[in-house]
Order: sequence, then structure tokens, then C-alpha cells
Amino acid sequence: MMAFLKILLDNLRKGPATEAFPFGEAPTPPAYRGKVAFDADTCTGCKMCEHVCAGGAIRFAEDDDGLHFLIWHNTCISCGLCEYYCPTKAITLTNNWHLAHPQSEKYTQIDHGTVAQCRCTECGTAFLPAIPALMDLAYRGQNDRTKALAGMCPDCRRRATLSGARS
Amino acid sequence: MNFLSKITPRIVAKSPWLYRINAGSCNGCDVELATTACIPRYDVERLGCQYCGSPKHADIVLITGPLTARVKDKMLRLYDEIPDPKVTVAVGVCPISGGVFRESYAIEGPIDRYLPVDVNVPGCPPRPQAIIEGIAQAIAIWRARIGEAA
Repeated sequence: MMAFLKILLDNLRKGPATEAFPFGEAPTPPAYRGKVAFDADTCTGCKMCEHVCAGGAIRFAEDDDGLHFLIWHNTCISCGLCEYYCPTKAITLTNNWHLAHPQSEKYTQIDHGTVAQCRCTECGTAFLPAIPALMDLAYRGQNDRTKALAGMCPDCRRRATLSGARS
Repeated sequence: MNFLSKITPRIVAKSPWLYRINAGSCNGCDVELATTACIPRYDVERLGCQYCGSPKHADIVLITGPLTARVKDKMLRLYDEIPDPKVTVAVGVCPISGGVFRESYAIEGPIDRYLPVDVNVPGCPPRPQAIIEGIAQAIAIWRARIGEAA
């Protein structure tokens, strides 16, 4: 009897259990897996996210401008494999779940990103840049030499690394 | 009769009835739909809607699943039984695009090949609040449609 009264008093104190949404904010955990966000500045262009994407939501296209990333949120199942396998965490899942949209916007639920090509400081060949996060992983921290290497295309970088070892 | 036809749109605009069609869904989205109705934390009935058991009573139809080849004819027959005007909501990525089942030999979807969809709620499954958000958008469309019909 007394236990029941305690529950009754607690319930009166706490107020209704129903969330106010859509008339107010709904509580969302920070780790909730929602809409995918892409950061072109830290993408290395390994295309691992495209390879592991269960719903086939991620597509890459390459042309003279660089590497174009595209995700269609309407076939993304928010499994988080892309985030898990991304070596530099350029692709992350935000906790934004406000994805309901009218049919007219079905094919505009996409996000683009372009990893621009840069020119080799030695030979001028266009190549996808080696981003600082990747150089950190490869060389365990950076110095002036690794910064100079980052500006070179893979061929020149290989040549420069070998000549450095000889001298 | 004239009085009834005047008053009916005003009444039904406040209380659209929901109907659920499972077009080969894995049941994930259906559990979330049941959650919106049965768990007091979400309580979709605050918006004036209620789930009904017969397609002939429905105003807003919620479709889950990628529309498998086996269920396609039955599903379209069921959809035709829902009286006009109606609002169609695609719940989950499967009816919208096929999701992980896209380009499978067993899938006839996406459903907007066969019937007019009004609102899409992507997710695998969408969380109950996202479904409520989609239903709120559908209710706005429903009120506009009832206004046109009157």
C-alpha cells in the first residue's frame, strides 16, 4: 500500500511521460546514428566507405577537378560502417534525424563533396593531396621533410624518399 | 445531406485515421509504428489520429517494406480499397529506394513506381519521433486535400 502511494507521488511530481515532440524538442542521444556528414578536407579518397556501404548510398566519381563524393540519404541505413572504416574520420554520422520530407524533395536528399586535385611541386602532375591526417598516420607525426613530401605526387615522393635515405 | 457534406470535411480534418500496409517489410519499421501508437512516451494519438483495422476506414496510409514480387498485387489491391482522398507515407528507406534490397530480383519497388507517395520518412528504421514528424507533415497535406474536396 505504501509502495503504491510512493509511485503515485513520484508520478505526480515527474509530470507526463509523453515527449512534447512535435510541439517541442525531442531528446536525442549524442551518439545517435542519423544523417551522414562528409568533410572533403580530411578525405583521403580511399573509397573504403563506398566499398562497405550496405545500402549503396555512397558513390565516387573522378574527373580532372578531383574526386567527387555523393551520398543519397534516402538509401542510407545509418549502419555506421563508413564511419567505422574511414581511416581519417572524414565521414561521420551526426545525430540529426529530421529526415522526413515531401515526395517532391525525394531526389534532392543528397550531399556532395569534392576532394580537389593539386599539382606536384616537382613534376607538376595532378594528384589527390595527401592530407595531414594521413601523413600523421604514415610518418607518426610531421616535420619539415614530411611536409615537403606531402606536396609531391606518389612517384616523386618515392624518388625523394629513396634519395634521402642514400645521402 | 447537404448539411452533412458541409460538416464532414471539418470533422475529418481533425481526425485522420492511419492504416498500415506491410509490403514485405522486415518488421523493423512496423515495430516502430506500433511504438508510436502504444507507448505513452510517443503517443501519436495526440495529433488526432488513430490506427484502424480496415483499409475502407483509412485516411493516411503508412507503407513499409520494399514491395516484394509476391506481395505486390495484394498490396496494390489493398491500396485501391482505401477511399480517396488519401495521403501516402513511405516509412523506412525500403519503400523509398529499396534500401539494402535495391536491385534485387525479388523486389518490385520502389513503391512510387506504382502509386503516388506524398511523404517519405527515411531511416532503417526511422525513430518513432521521425515517424511522428512524417505523420505531422501528412496531416498537413490531408487537411489541404480535404479542403479542396469540400
